[in-house]
Amino acid sequence: MDVKLTINGEEKSASVPPETTLLRLLREEFNLTGAKIGCDVGDCGACTVIVDGIATNSCLMLAGQVQGRSIETIEGLANMDDYHPLQKNFEDLGSLQCGFCGPGIILSAKQLLDDNPDPNKEEIQDALAGNLCRCTGYTKIVEAVADAAREMRGNREAA
Amino acid sequence: MKQKGKGIGCMWYPIGFTVAANPSAATVKVNEDGTATLLTGTVETGQGSLTVLGQIAAEELGISTDDVHVVSADTDTTPMDTGAIASRTTYVTGNAIKLAAEKAKEILFEVAAPMLNVKPSQLEAVDRKVQVKGFPQRNLPISEVALQAQFVQGRPPIGSASFNPPTVDMDPETGQGKPFSTYVYATQIAEVEVDDETGQVDVLYMSAAHDCGTAINPMLVEGQIQGGISMGVGFALQEEMLFDEKGVQINPNLTNYIMPTSLDMPEIDVDIVENFDPTGPFGAKGVGEPTAVPTAAAICNAIFDAVGVRVTSLPATAEKVLKLIKEKRANENKQLAPAE
Repeated sequence: MDVKLTINGEEKSASVPPETTLLRLLREEFNLTGAKIGCDVGDCGACTVIVDGIATNSCLMLAGQVQGRSIETIEGLANMDDYHPLQKNFEDLGSLQCGFCGPGIILSAKQLLDDNPDPNKEEIQDALAGNLCRCTGYTKIVEAVADAAREMRGNREAA
Repeated sequence: MKQKGKGIGCMWYPIGFTVAANPSAATVKVNEDGTATLLTGTVETGQGSLTVLGQIAAEELGISTDDVHVVSADTDTTPMDTGAIASRTTYVTGNAIKLAAEKAKEILFEVAAPMLNVKPSQLEAVDRKVQVKGFPQRNLPISEVALQAQFVQGRPPIGSASFNPPTVDMDPETGQGKPFSTYVYATQIAEVEVDDETGQVDVLYMSAAHDCGTAINPMLVEGQIQGGISMGVGFALQEEMLFDEKGVQINPNLTNYIMPTSLDMPEIDVDIVENFDPTGPFGAKGVGEPTAVPTAAAICNAIFDAVGVRVTSLPATAEKVLKLIKEKRANENKQLAPAE
């Protein structure tokens, strides 16, 4: 099966068996290993990527379903000059420990901030509820998302 | 109706193995550009131990943490370490690293002493310099001393050391011994809300006061405590391995083995109670596992305060708490019935 899609702004194509999930497509065809294979059944959120603006468990989506769609992965967030404000604030606060949940959590948070630039704490907790983290207790993650939102609002006002 | 309650849990926790040997070894070498390379066998699992261990080496050598290149967890190249277990890394591995760095520093001081016309004992290492105590203007950059040591004196500044926490095995006759070299202490307070019609428990707030000796990196200590509380909340209210009669686990996945999400986390206040332990590196002890110890006890005490029932097996699921509330009501009604 031939799949054509846009990943982090670049058009890509691959030929894969029809049972291939979006997660396997990203990791094995395009070598984008930021999205993690955690539970592989949609419980843990470690495979979260953004599909047409919606944070999605890529283990539950088939490659065929993303035909012509636009995917954002953790690899598309930083550029050579700078981290994304979410990444920077996660680093500054020590928000991640083992980091396995990190790419998924950051992308869930990115969708939240794309849709709602000024979320309150409950809205942040709600947006991250599908991403399990065993290390951190989520406390510093929620703080970093709030800090990143503040920083991004400031950047927008300055621009 | 939702009933609020508060409860306290206290704990002590030992650092390292019970009497059994659990050594750590380390090598520190000071490079001719004034940086240092630290070899340690321990593993970074996200808790930030390599940062803390780099800080310990840097503090001993008077350089910046950024100057320390940490090489870890490679059995081909790094010295033996018992591992990132028993809440022992900061204390045991940290002590080994401090001793190794001291040895490298001794070589630097012996080389620098004649250059500064003093005795080695009159020197200290501060701000990337070897300087005379009380006369900081008489100093040499560590890079210059290391270069001199290596290429002029032929004594590369390198130190290797190991540390095994001193313990005493139990005397079978008296029952006396010293099972651990040091201990940490903590108290956590939980505030919960219990729905007395469903048994559902929500943890609203946790306050956590932890003694970890000197907090070498307070941000990382906070992260450990917050993480430990999330594990404690899961232990108290959600997490349970269920087995069928043949011993096969019936919830071997995260769909029905329930663990805390961001929505289950209470507001947390962390209070680091600093306390210098003379046997630890720069007074430090440990913090890892102890953070999850008092949480469930505090939550169960808070449930008792809220609805007057004692949960004696974990997790305190809604079903279990509701059953206890119903039993309590039935008992109260029985007592209210007039005597025959």
